Amino acid sequence: MLRELKLALLTELVKDATPEELIWINGYVSGLNSTKENISETPAVPASAIKITIAYGTETGNSKKLAQVFAAKAKKHNVQAKVVGLDQYRLNDLEKENYFLLVLSTHGDGEPPVAAKKFYDHIHSHEGSLSKLKYSVLALGDSAYPLFCKAGEDADQRLSKLGGQRIAQVQKCDTDFEADSEIWFEQVLQSLTGNQLVAQPAVTSQQIKKSAGKSIFTGKIIANINLNDRGSSKQTHHIEIAVPEFSYQPGDAIGVVPVNSKHIVKHIFDLLPVHPDLVFFHNDRSIAAFDLLQEKFNITCLHERVVSRYATLTGHDIPAVKMHLADLLSIYPLENLLQFEELLEILEPITPRLYSIASSSVAHEGEVHLTVAKDKYTVGEKLRYGLCSDYLSSFNEGDTFEFYLHKNNQFRLPREDKDVIMIGPGTGIAPFRSFLAERDATGATGRNWLFFGDQHFTTDFLYQSELQNWMATGVLTNLSLAFSRDQDEKIYVQHKLEQQSAQLTDWIKNGAYMYVCGARRMSEDVEQTLAAVVGEKVLHDLKENGRYLKDVY
Amino acid sequence: MSDQKFSSVERIKEQSDGLRGSLKQSLENDVTGALYEDDQSLIKFHGLYQQDDRDRREERSQKKLEALYSFMIRLRLPGGLLTSQQWLGLHDIAGKNSTGVIKITTRQTVQLHGIFKSRIKPTISAFNTLHLDSIAACGDVNRNVICSAHPGVSPVHTEIFAFAEKISEMALPKTNAYYEIWLDEKQIADSKTKEEDPLYQNRYLPRKFKIAIAIPPDNDVDVFGNDLGLIAIIENNELIGFNIAAGGGLSTTHGNPSTYARLATTLGFVSGEESIIKAVYEIITIQRDYGNRSDRKQARLKYTIDKMGADIFKTELEKRCGFKLKPAKEFKFITRTDHFGWEKDHSGKWHYTLFVENGRVLDEGDFKLTTALYEIAKTGKVNFRFTCNQNLVLADIQEKDKKEIEKLLKGYGVISYTDNATPSRKNAIACVAFPTCPLALAEAQRYLPALLTKIELLLKQNDLSKEAIHIRMTGCPNGCGRSYLAEIGFIGTAYGRYNLQLGGDTLGLRLNRLYKENLDEAAILEELDMLFKKYKQERKAGEAFGDFTLRTVLS
Repeated sequence: MLRELKLALLTELVKDATPEELIWINGYVSGLNSTKENISETPAVPASAIKITIAYGTETGNSKKLAQVFAAKAKKHNVQAKVVGLDQYRLNDLEKENYFLLVLSTHGDGEPPVAAKKFYDHIHSHEGSLSKLKYSVLALGDSAYPLFCKAGEDADQRLSKLGGQRIAQVQKCDTDFEADSEIWFEQVLQSLTGNQLVAQPAVTSQQIKKSAGKSIFTGKIIANINLNDRGSSKQTHHIEIAVPEFSYQPGDAIGVVPVNSKHIVKHIFDLLPVHPDLVFFHNDRSIAAFDLLQEKFNITCLHERVVSRYATLTGHDIPAVKMHLADLLSIYPLENLLQFEELLEILEPITPRLYSIASSSVAHEGEVHLTVAKDKYTVGEKLRYGLCSDYLSSFNEGDTFEFYLHKNNQFRLPREDKDVIMIGPGTGIAPFRSFLAERDATGATGRNWLFFGDQHFTTDFLYQSELQNWMATGVLTNLSLAFSRDQDEKIYVQHKLEQQSAQLTDWIKNGAYMYVCGARRMSEDVEQTLAAVVGEKVLHDLKENGRYLKDVY
Repeated sequence: MSDQKFSSVERIKEQSDGLRGSLKQSLENDVTGALYEDDQSLIKFHGLYQQDDRDRREERSQKKLEALYSFMIRLRLPGGLLTSQQWLGLHDIAGKNSTGVIKITTRQTVQLHGIFKSRIKPTISAFNTLHLDSIAACGDVNRNVICSAHPGVSPVHTEIFAFAEKISEMALPKTNAYYEIWLDEKQIADSKTKEEDPLYQNRYLPRKFKIAIAIPPDNDVDVFGNDLGLIAIIENNELIGFNIAAGGGLSTTHGNPSTYARLATTLGFVSGEESIIKAVYEIITIQRDYGNRSDRKQARLKYTIDKMGADIFKTELEKRCGFKLKPAKEFKFITRTDHFGWEKDHSGKWHYTLFVENGRVLDEGDFKLTTALYEIAKTGKVNFRFTCNQNLVLADIQEKDKKEIEKLLKGYGVISYTDNATPSRKNAIACVAFPTCPLALAEAQRYLPALLTKIELLLKQNDLSKEAIHIRMTGCPNGCGRSYLAEIGFIGTAYGRYNLQLGGDTLGLRLNRLYKENLDEAAILEELDMLFKKYKQERKAGEAFGDFTLRTVLS
C-alpha cells in the first residue's frame, strides 16, 4: 500500500518507540489524516457553488414528491436545488439552465402528464442549442403499459438532440419507484460533485429490497346501476364494490386490469387457425391459447403500430389505423400456427385503467364506488365497446375482481373550512361525489360548489337525487348545470363559469380551491374560460398556490 | 272559523300574490324538473298540473334520478271549439313539446301531457299566438264551461253557445299573473288596484267549480253532474232562458262515508242575459263565502248546499241577485249520445261526428287519426268541436266542401272506424289515470279498450251487440270519467281492482249504485256475463240495461 521508502521510514520510526510514543504517533497521524482528507478531496468546484433545477411533470403527485425529496437531499450536500413544476416552468429558462434534472411520468399511451404537455411539446418543436445544459431524466411509469416510461425517454432523447449533456443515464422506474429513483439520484449527485460524497455506502438496486409492487385487492360487486335513463345515448355505470380493509382518500383512483369478454375471444378463435385449448408458454407458465387471448392481450383496439407490425407479419398492405383483432383477422387471415405465434409476439398487453373513486371511506365504510362510462364507438358499421368499461359494466352482483390503489396526492381536499369549487362534467363527477360525501360525513364547514354537465337533463343527470339531497342539507351551496343538448345552442360547464363570474371571483377571493376532473379537452376549455373570467394572473396564482388542481384523462 | 283550521291550500292561495307565488323561481331552478311545493298547487290555476310518470318512479329512483316530472296543460275552451288554424297549431305544439297525443277531455277541451318544465313557457307562448289560453282550466276556480256540442241540436245553438264564452270570461281570475309568468309581460305598476277581484278576492273558491250548459234534447254534458247546470229552455225556436240547477258533483273518497256523488238540485228559471250571468255569478259568491275551507273533501258546492239546505241556499241567492227565480220550466232530454256520422243543421251546414276512443288523438298502427285530422285541418274548411263524451265533431262544413272532407275521412279510414265501433264502445268514457294522474289507484284509459273487447264478446254471445250500454271507467273515485252516471260504472280501488256500479240511466238523470266491490277482471266478466244473460231473458220491451239492473239485482 505504501511505497517502499515510506514504509522503511515508518518502520524505522516505530521500531524502538515506547508504548506512550506509539499512542502519541497514532494520535498525530489520525489528526493529520483528518486535515488531509479535507484538502485532498475538495472538488474542483465547491459543492455550494452548484445550482440545480429539479423540474417535475406529475399527474398523481409522485414526481413532485420525488423532486422535493431530491432537493432536500441535495441541500444536505451543499447543492442548491430549486424545485419547479413543469406547468409553471418558463420555457425560455431552459437555455440558461446549468444543471437540469427532470422527473417526468408517463400516462396512457406514452403521453406526458397534462401539466407537462407544454414543456414536452416545446422541446419537441423547438430546435436550438442547449449546449450549456447538463441534465438527466428520471422517468416514471407503469410497466403494465406497452409504452413504459415513454414520455421520460422521449424527453431524454430530445434534450440530448438539442445539445444537452447527460450527467446520468435516464432511469426508468416502475410503480415501485423508490429504490430505482434513489439510485438515479445518487448517480446524479456523484457526477455533480465529482466524487462520492455520500455517507452511506452506495446503494445498488439489488441491495434495496424491492417492494412487492402493487398491492392487489379483491372486491365484490354489490351494485351495478346504469345511471342514465332510457332514451339516453350514454351508459354510465355506478358500481359499488365491497372491499374490507382497503383505505383510500378522496381523490384517489383504483387501477383495474380488465379481461376480454368470452364471446369476443370465441369469435376470434373462429377466425384463427389455432385450437383454443392449445397450450402456450407465456411468462414462465403454461396457459391455454383461449385464456391467453382473454386475459393477457389487448385484442379489441389494436394500436396503429401493432397493425403495422401485423401488416409486416402477414405481408399485406394494411392501413395503419386502430383496429379490432377480429376485423383484422377476418380481412387478413392468418395462415398457420407459426403466424399465430408471431402474432403473440406483436400483440400488446392489456393495460390497467384508472377510475377515480366516487365514494368516501368515511361515508361508505368498506366500500369503493366507481362511475364508469361505457365507451361506445363504431368501427365501420360495427358497434364496439371500450374494453375496461365493458368489463366493469358487465359485472353482476356478487362477482369479484382485482384492482390496486392508485394514490393521487395531487388531488386532495383542502382544510375542512376552505371553500371548494368542483368542475366535473360527465364521469368527471366521480371524485366530487367522493369529496361531497366525505365533507358531508365529516361535517366540514367549507362551502361546496359543483359544476356538472352532460347531454340531457332528463336522462343524463348523474347522481341527481343525491345532489338534490346535498343541496337540501346545505352540503352543496351551489350546483351549476350545463346540459348541452337540451336546447339549440350547445351549453357546456365553461359557459356556466362565464355566467357565474362575479360569484366565482368572490369565492376565489375568499380562498376557495378549484378542482377540475374529466376529459382533457373539457379541462382545456375550462381553463381558457377561467383565464378570461378571473384573469390570467389569478389563475396563475391559484396554480402556484396549489389551489387549482386537475384530474383529467 | 279560525285561520288555523284552514287547509294548507287556503294559505297558499291567500299568500300567492295573485297566483304568482314563486312560480318564476320554480321555473328558474334547473336542478329539478319539479316546482316548489306551494307552486305545484298554484300552477293548477294556470291550467297545468305537475305530474310524474308513475311507471318510471322505481326505476328512476334506482338510477338516482328524481321522478320523471312533466306537466299536463289543459286549454280553456268554453264550449270546446277550435278553428282549423288553431288545430294545426295545436298539432305542432303537441308534437314539439309534449308526448304528441292530443287528449280530448270529458269536459270538452283538450290537454297535452308530458311537457317538461323547460318547455312550459314555449308551449304557452305558442298557444297565445293562436289566441288560446289555459287560464283557470284547473284549480279552485270556475273551470272550462261546457255546452252541448252539436250545432244541429238546435237552431239557437250559436246563441246558447255564446253563453259559455260569456260565463267563462266573467268568472276568470282578474290577476295578470298568467301573462307575467308565462308570457314575460311586465308587471303593471299599480297592478294591485287593477287586479282587484270582487268575485274571487284573494281566496278564490274552496274547491273546483264546474259549469255546464245543456241544450235539450241532448244531455251530452251530463248537466246534473256539475256544480252549476244551465238547461236551455227553447220555445218556438227561441231561447227564453235557463233552468238553473246547483250542487252536482261526482267525486267521492273511498272509505270516507261523508263524501258522495250528488246530482244538481234545480232551483228555478231565469231569463234575460244580465240576470242569467248575475245568477251564475252569485252562486259562485255563495260558494266562495260558505264553502268549507278546512276540509277539501267537503268543499264542493254540493256539500255547501246540503249543509245550508237547498231552500236557504235559494233564498240567499235571490237576496244576492236582487230578483226572484221563476219556477223551473219543463224540458225533455232524449239522449246523451253523440250524433255520430254526418248530420245537417238548421242552417244547412254539415257536421261529421267521429269516434275517438277515450279521446286520444294519435296515429296508432294503421289508423292514423292524427295525420287524418291534420290533413283535414289543412283544408281550412272545418271547425273542431269537442264533445263531453271525448269525441270530435268536424263541424260547420259548407255543402260544397262536404265531398272533399268526406274523401279525406274515407281515405284515412275514419268513417269505417267510427261505423265499425260498437254502440257501447262509442258511448264509453275513461279518464287518464296511469301513468300520469297522481290520484289513480287503477288503470283506466290504458285498460278500458281491452276490457271492452271482452265485454263486447259477452254482449255478442248474449245477442246484445246492438245495445248502447253506457260504460264508464275511472281510475279513482274522483269522478272525472263520470262513472257514477253510467249504466255500468267501474271505479278503481287498487291496481287491477274495480268497484262495479250499476243502475244509472241512459240520460244522466240518475246516479248508479255500488253493486260489487273490488272485483278483478275475471270477476267483472263473470258478473257481467250473468247480468247480460239475465237481461236478455228478463228485460221488458225497450228497457235499458241500467233501468233493468235497478229493477232487478239492485232492489
